[in-house]
Amino acid sequence: MAAWGKRLAGVRGVLLDISGVLYDGGEDGGAPIRGSVEAVARLKQSRLKVRFCTNESQKSRQELVGLLRRQGFDISEGEVTAPAPATSLILKERGLRPHLLVHDGVRSEFGQIDTSNPNCVVIADAGEGFSYQNMNKAFRVLMELEKPVLISLGKGRYYKETSGLMLDVGAYMKALEYACGIEAEVVGKPSPEYFQSALKEMGVEAHEQAIMIGDDIVGDVGGAQRCGMRALQVRTGKFRPSDEQHPEVKADGYVDNLAEAVDLLLQHATK
Amino acid sequence: MVRFVTNTTKESKQDLLDRLKKLEFDISEDEIFTSLTAARNLVEQKQVRPMLLVDDRALPDFKGIQTSDPNAVVIGLAPEHFHYQILNQAFRLLLDGAALIAVHKARYYKRKDGLALGPGPFVTALEYATDTKATVVGKPEKTFFLEALRGTGCEPEEAVMIGDDCRDDVGGAQNVGMLGILVKTGKYRAADEEKINPPPYLTCESFPHAVDHILQHLL
Repeated sequence: MAAWGKRLAGVRGVLLDISGVLYDGGEDGGAPIRGSVEAVARLKQSRLKVRFCTNESQKSRQELVGLLRRQGFDISEGEVTAPAPATSLILKERGLRPHLLVHDGVRSEFGQIDTSNPNCVVIADAGEGFSYQNMNKAFRVLMELEKPVLISLGKGRYYKETSGLMLDVGAYMKALEYACGIEAEVVGKPSPEYFQSALKEMGVEAHEQAIMIGDDIVGDVGGAQRCGMRALQVRTGKFRPSDEQHPEVKADGYVDNLAEAVDLLLQHATK
Repeated sequence: MVRFVTNTTKESKQDLLDRLKKLEFDISEDEIFTSLTAARNLVEQKQVRPMLLVDDRALPDFKGIQTSDPNAVVIGLAPEHFHYQILNQAFRLLLDGAALIAVHKARYYKRKDGLALGPGPFVTALEYATDTKATVVGKPEKTFFLEALRGTGCEPEEAVMIGDDCRDDVGGAQNVGMLGILVKTGKYRAADEEKINPPPYLTCESFPHAVDHILQHLL
């Protein structure tokens, strides 16, 4: 049993990554990770507050939550912090009209946004939608703008689906950055504003009270720690053994999966 | 002495030669040096089996190279291969340790219908996703220019590069010690000459102007 478990004392709120922690996505809807459905249920029954903090940008929250509920997870839309709604707010605040390079599944999250005469590009995990033609269209929009603005929903390198590892939005964001000589603004993990908005929704402070559980050593764990939270790395999802020797990020603990993390939390955090 | 150097990855040397001869250019095969040649040389040197993401018309330049059970990825300008499924395949090979060879990293090129993404952005995408660096064989790499000059008997300081791409043609050549002349045709966009340091030796309207300058001032 992990000796570092004692370091979990004082945790009041848990931020859970979804992909790679709860389930692995896939063409047929994917599959839950062993023990995760029950782990979430146990967390919900405890005194710990729970919020789901995801960078999922291929599906709308409604679609994602529906899918997870069908797999047995106790989760509702109001408990999820997702990048598309956060981006919509930013677009409205700044009077930005986006050219959307996104998967059709997430377009509904931008339903209230004016997309005529675009003055920026929003890029999300478009998956198969990352055709050369679609990338070129986005590139041309940016090149025509006097002040090119590129907003990226997350900047992940890859994620795990049941068929294997898949290129994520970050790679395509870098492609457009390189092509246009610009830098994107990232909405989603690991941006501090994103974590802070999730903590605010949960009513928990980062320092001493919150913990993030994720499969992305840089985006989830590193990002959370930079906000003053503790963070656990799971060995499911996109995890690769070399992540435990990451040159910059040292997780507060490494666990096999969410089930093990919850065992330890319930043992040490709720005293 | 003249060399025709190109990053083109859409034509084999033979096709290029035929096309230029049809346009009545006085040019012979051994005066042409392309980045595809440079890529093939590197593949042979490293003894790898490449997944070739190059235009079909470039394949003749890789004749004789084994491509089954690939342990390397060679990327040229191949928009028809730059969609998600194929790039994801390449990504998975690279994550397993395959070498990444980029014929060049041009950001974009000029098509009849406007600017179009070059291979550079997609190479960058794979580099970021796999946390590795590609070996680039084409302009503006120093080795490309030095290889191109091999056999001419000229030192870089005795050579002039004429091109329309400020960073890749002129910047790359000047980095090796050559003089660079930027022409305002092709993919040139206003104020490109301000984007490199030191600036081009000369910026002029077109290739004929560049040649006039060389004949009048540099010989």
